[in-house]
Amino acid sequence: MIDFVNKPVARLILVGLPALALQTTFFAEVKIFGVVLQIMLALSIAAGLAGGSENGALAGFVFGLMFDLVLTSPLGLSALVYGAAGWGAGYLHSRALENPKWLNALVVGLMSGLATFVLPIVANWIGVEGWLSSRLTKVTIVVSLSNALFSFLVVPVARWSLAIRRNQRLAPPAEVFL
Amino acid sequence: MPVYSVSRRRAIALLALTSILLITLDIQGNSVVRGLRGVFSTIFEPVQSSARVITRPLENSWRGITNYGELEAENQRLQDQLDQQEGAFIAALATARDAQELLALNGIDNLADISSVTAQVIGGTPSNYSQTIEINQGSDRGLRVGMPVVNAAGLVGRITWVDNDRSLVLLANDSLYAIPVQVVNQPNIVPATTTTTTTTTSTTTTSTTTTTSSTTTTLPVVPPVSAVVDPNGITTTTQSMTTTTVDLSTVDFGALAPTTTGVIVTIAPGTTAGGPTTTLNLDDLPIAETGIFRGRGIDNAPVVEFIDQNSRFGEVQVGALVFTSGGSQSLAPRGIVVGRVIKIVERTGTSGAVLEVRLTAKLTALNFVRVLLYQPVATGAP
Repeated sequence: MIDFVNKPVARLILVGLPALALQTTFFAEVKIFGVVLQIMLALSIAAGLAGGSENGALAGFVFGLMFDLVLTSPLGLSALVYGAAGWGAGYLHSRALENPKWLNALVVGLMSGLATFVLPIVANWIGVEGWLSSRLTKVTIVVSLSNALFSFLVVPVARWSLAIRRNQRLAPPAEVFL
Repeated sequence: MPVYSVSRRRAIALLALTSILLITLDIQGNSVVRGLRGVFSTIFEPVQSSARVITRPLENSWRGITNYGELEAENQRLQDQLDQQEGAFIAALATARDAQELLALNGIDNLADISSVTAQVIGGTPSNYSQTIEINQGSDRGLRVGMPVVNAAGLVGRITWVDNDRSLVLLANDSLYAIPVQVVNQPNIVPATTTTTTTTTSTTTTSTTTTTSSTTTTLPVVPPVSAVVDPNGITTTTQSMTTTTVDLSTVDFGALAPTTTGVIVTIAPGTTAGGPTTTLNLDDLPIAETGIFRGRGIDNAPVVEFIDQNSRFGEVQVGALVFTSGGSQSLAPRGIVVGRVIKIVERTGTSGAVLEVRLTAKLTALNFVRVLLYQPVATGAP
């Protein structure tokens, strides 16, 4: 049991379930300027910062898939975009020599904005209309800023869920991805 | 700088391909994907319920802080609106009863015949793009996927996912929502006019003064039938010579007349010995067009796109009413109010014009809704 819980994928699910519960209850009701804050996206990007590109992609896929399962939008859409965001965050982070908290916040904010902007474009591409609108700018800005603030909380959580120490930026064993 | 092994790059590519595969399967309506959602829901439901209990006080505090002033102003505005609409409601009630009688006589289903379940909204949409709400009734109360959801104002959406004791409602403004509708032009609005004539006769010998006063109020008219109203009942004669009598003894026409504007009767008290007479003009038949209503997201007004272009299209006016049209394939019965046309967008070529609609139901402030236990004949009614 302990071995199972120590596996990154199991930890991701254990972290993802309460985070998703928070997303579908508290954040669905408490909106900032009419915009729903996106904690699942913040966690995906934080996983990329904590564990590198591969871990970010895996965590983004898992969190996005969990989110898709409670939405009416096509299954796999958030998984694809969140996975890409996690991978991108890990890639950006790998270019830096150090990873201070302000840089984490900046990367989380930037990647959140990018993912929020790209999601309706991909949706439109696969035939879901109505997501691209003038409101998108406001949503992008609010989600970016809020997730930048969330980064101070979600990066340590992501680090724990991927079983990575504070100064360790290596991915878990390759078997995880196979 | 991280080093990417071939196996890890393959793993990332595999995740991307899996996502694309899932999207493809879901768009095609694959049953495995539906099953997956069901299994996940079973696992997730206890976690979500616990989170709801824990976060409810926080949500309430947040609402109290951010919405108090807005709610107070809205409450005042709604109170004023309620007062104004009280008279109109009585008239509408009488008309609805009349319509139900006519529908019953002609063997047409109407909303009053359909059972419904009242449900409370327990959750909003967790996404910024899809428009859904969660309600506290499910398959235990007979709810099924596809059933229409309404409130007092009109159409709200349809059930898109059902569990034992809760369901997900896809709101009518979501881009995935579509339903066949009927567009009916508003009656020609004739401004209400009131004429008062007073005659005074004085007789010197008896020192008596007699005053005779008569008042005629004309209200906008336009229903598709002819009718005569007396204080105890309404007799409606249609073109097919069907006669219906509805008891209207409880309606106070004296009180109704001054507050009712834009409804479908002409009331002229005093012109008939027995009471007010209502005359409905057959020449003012409403024009009905059928089309497909489609949501376009939270930011854009929903639209009605017409299936067929015909010469009568040009007659649809801004303000026309939009109702569900029903039919054997439609997920909603005939006659649910959807909204009003607010804009007509002409398009060139064969694509035809598009009507932008304002929904009568306020989808951003839903507390209680009613699920109509209706399924179209094509899918086998329960």
